[in-house]
Amino acid sequence: MVWLAALFQLWALGACGSQVATTAKPITLYTCVNDTTIQPVIQKFEAAHAGVKVDLFRAPTGQLNARVASDVRSGGLKADVVWACDPLTMQDYVDQGLVGGWTPQTDIPATVRTPDYVGVAVLYMVAVTRTGRPGPAAWTELSRAGKVAVPDPKVAASALGALGYFGPDFYADLKAKGAVQVSTPDDVTTGVAQGIYDAGMTIANSAYAAQKSGSPVTVSWPKPGAVAIYGPIALSKTTTNSGPAQDFVSYVASRDGQALVGSSGSYPTLPGVGGPTTPDDAPTVYPDWKALASSKATLLRDYAKIFGG
Amino acid sequence: MRSGLARSALALLLACVVAVVVVPVLVLLRTSWVEGRGRLAEIMTDPGFRSAVANSFWLSAAVTGLAVPVGVAIALALRDPGLPGRNFWRAAVLLPVLVPDFVLAYSWLRAYARAGLTSEAFGFAWPQVQGPVGVTVIVASNAVPLVYLVTAVGLSTRAEPVTERAARASGARPLTVLRTVTLPLLGPAIATAAVLIFVLTLGTFAVPQVIGAPAGFRTITTLIYADLALGSDPQSFVEAITLAVLLVMITVIVVTPADRLLGGRLSLSRTPARDSDWGTGSSTTRILVPIVLGLYLIVTCGLPLLALVSAAFTRAVGVPLSPENWTLDNFLAVLTPRTGQALGRSLLLAVAAGSILLVLGGCTAALSRTRSGRAVSVLVALTLVLPGSVLAIGLLIGYGRWLADTVLIILLAYLAKLWALAHRPISAAVDRLAPAGLQAARASGADLPTALATVVVPVLRPALIAAWGLCFLTALHEVTMSSLLYGPGTETLAVVVLNSADLGRIGVTAALSVIVTVVVLVPGGALWMLGRRSRHG
Repeated sequence: MVWLAALFQLWALGACGSQVATTAKPITLYTCVNDTTIQPVIQKFEAAHAGVKVDLFRAPTGQLNARVASDVRSGGLKADVVWACDPLTMQDYVDQGLVGGWTPQTDIPATVRTPDYVGVAVLYMVAVTRTGRPGPAAWTELSRAGKVAVPDPKVAASALGALGYFGPDFYADLKAKGAVQVSTPDDVTTGVAQGIYDAGMTIANSAYAAQKSGSPVTVSWPKPGAVAIYGPIALSKTTTNSGPAQDFVSYVASRDGQALVGSSGSYPTLPGVGGPTTPDDAPTVYPDWKALASSKATLLRDYAKIFGG
Repeated sequence: MRSGLARSALALLLACVVAVVVVPVLVLLRTSWVEGRGRLAEIMTDPGFRSAVANSFWLSAAVTGLAVPVGVAIALALRDPGLPGRNFWRAAVLLPVLVPDFVLAYSWLRAYARAGLTSEAFGFAWPQVQGPVGVTVIVASNAVPLVYLVTAVGLSTRAEPVTERAARASGARPLTVLRTVTLPLLGPAIATAAVLIFVLTLGTFAVPQVIGAPAGFRTITTLIYADLALGSDPQSFVEAITLAVLLVMITVIVVTPADRLLGGRLSLSRTPARDSDWGTGSSTTRILVPIVLGLYLIVTCGLPLLALVSAAFTRAVGVPLSPENWTLDNFLAVLTPRTGQALGRSLLLAVAAGSILLVLGGCTAALSRTRSGRAVSVLVALTLVLPGSVLAIGLLIGYGRWLADTVLIILLAYLAKLWALAHRPISAAVDRLAPAGLQAARASGADLPTALATVVVPVLRPALIAAWGLCFLTALHEVTMSSLLYGPGTETLAVVVLNSADLGRIGVTAALSVIVTVVVLVPGGALWMLGRRSRHG
């Protein structure tokens, strides 16, 4: 009887959820953007657009991909808007005919735009060192900081972007000098903060968040520059709620939306809008995403020979 | 009567097994075959795949080889009714189960890796914690409570203290008694535990991913995760599904013969062993057992738990554990209405899953001597070994049109994933049950619920409590499936965990684990009391 009662309550909970969903005509957003950023963006958008509700599915890229692929095989993509964390993922969705075909009017630079999506946030791959260790002025000096950790490009798209920019030889050199590969950029940050590693490659948001909380880490933007990985947003091709969905994409790409992105811990792409900590003369470099899309398999195979897997 | 009861149980079982196991597995098989059969040879000849399969096998074998003897030894040591603090030790050996998978690897790293707790306190670090040895030790130490539980249930339902005493009185040495009386009687329970641990380890993900990666140690599950991370490319997605299907096939190869061997059970009609039936150990044993057990628990549980709790109360990773760095901020960040709702929902789901699984596991165990029952027990092992994310994909493709974003699809996922975990401990005890007892109760006029409550439940109570507790805890700690299946208004604890893990906020995740552990300790304490009552009464 206990489980019958519990089952009934679960059913009631589910029913309540779907009732709200049908009466409010929500738009469904799929994203891998962290909660710290996405929640205020949704709240401000809903406040500015009375009657429009955003239903959120937020998960790391792997789960997001799994959800999209499952949708495709069970009636079609259920999202109205997809906000990804790297252009390779989004381009794959475009190539499958899932998203694209429309972008909003915006001053965001053409370098992070295509006819199908627009980059609205950036991740920067930077160097993090344990406080007291020398921060590398150039990426080639990273291994001099001591025991180095790098994130896995088969797990984190930001790491794949870095692999695309640096090439396998850079990693072979690091490995020869004792570097190890961990899973995610966050694992690098935590490992360096804890003292398991002396230095590593991680994303700036993660490193600055650790530094801000008091962890003994130093963040460097080595030359030729931090590797920039932009996170694009796109409209679903199967949306039946395109008006509010377009409004949401437009809002995120607008100056107000970009300011909110910047103030909530992510780096915006709109020039002149402030974001989290960035050194005055912070150099940045961009992978060639088109080339990377076609060479991804070869790169990962070559990389696997270095770090295994 | 018997055939009617069996038919009803079988019909219930088949309907459920089709819904929660067969449908998602078939969906995955179909996806793999239709979209990936052209690449099967390429996937299977890839050196990365071959090494991942070898690593998964070696890891499962090593963990089983380590956890089973340790768990059985602990269960045997804790039989002694005169052991000082016996009830404390019985509860303490279960503590590792309370550490959620999502912080297990971090806890061990913080305890033993370079610059960890032991390094700071004693100048000792264990570099091998990051690599195959570390993965094996951590997964095994987390598996020991499960082996202990299954063996302890086996001891209370299968073992024969009187026969042991007779053997000793006849001059047999303790080791001879163990070899010739105790272990043969415990055989099915030990074999059940071994199969369960082997399959669970084949499907384990979190520890190999975090601890194994720095040593380039990839298993099938971490390979699947990597493929899903690149899964926006349909080829990578299908490769992940194909790898999962291969994992399922490996499980069939392992579990089918094991279950066939286990099929020939003893048919017993003895009464369950009681605490007072066991002989008391020597004075040396009573001194040594608590010392060894204490050291073992400090190493495998105490220090990792201390690392976890210290992370929860420290303002940042990597700062000294001095009072100026103590804070409650991590708890304040977690204690929000949204977290409360998610935790409440997860608790409700875990209670529902544990309770339903008790019925399903009981039915499966009751039919375990039949061919259909054995088939069901193999089938439910398939979804136990499937990585959570892949099982969730199978359910989403199978039921997403109707159940996407509801709590029911999450509940289905829990039932699919944990069925074997409920069934196997009960199965290890069920042959203690003499069918004649149930038949006699029915013949005397008792209706089925009364007969079950008065004849079956008292005998199986330790096994039922163990199975419910395992399923409840595992469902509560589950992250990968529910984080893929949730929707608006159905966020579970998993969603909060993943959100707090963003940007490496390990202190917040640790605080969440501490809260969950405290929440679990309340019903856990109640269960423990129930267990005591069942043993004494």
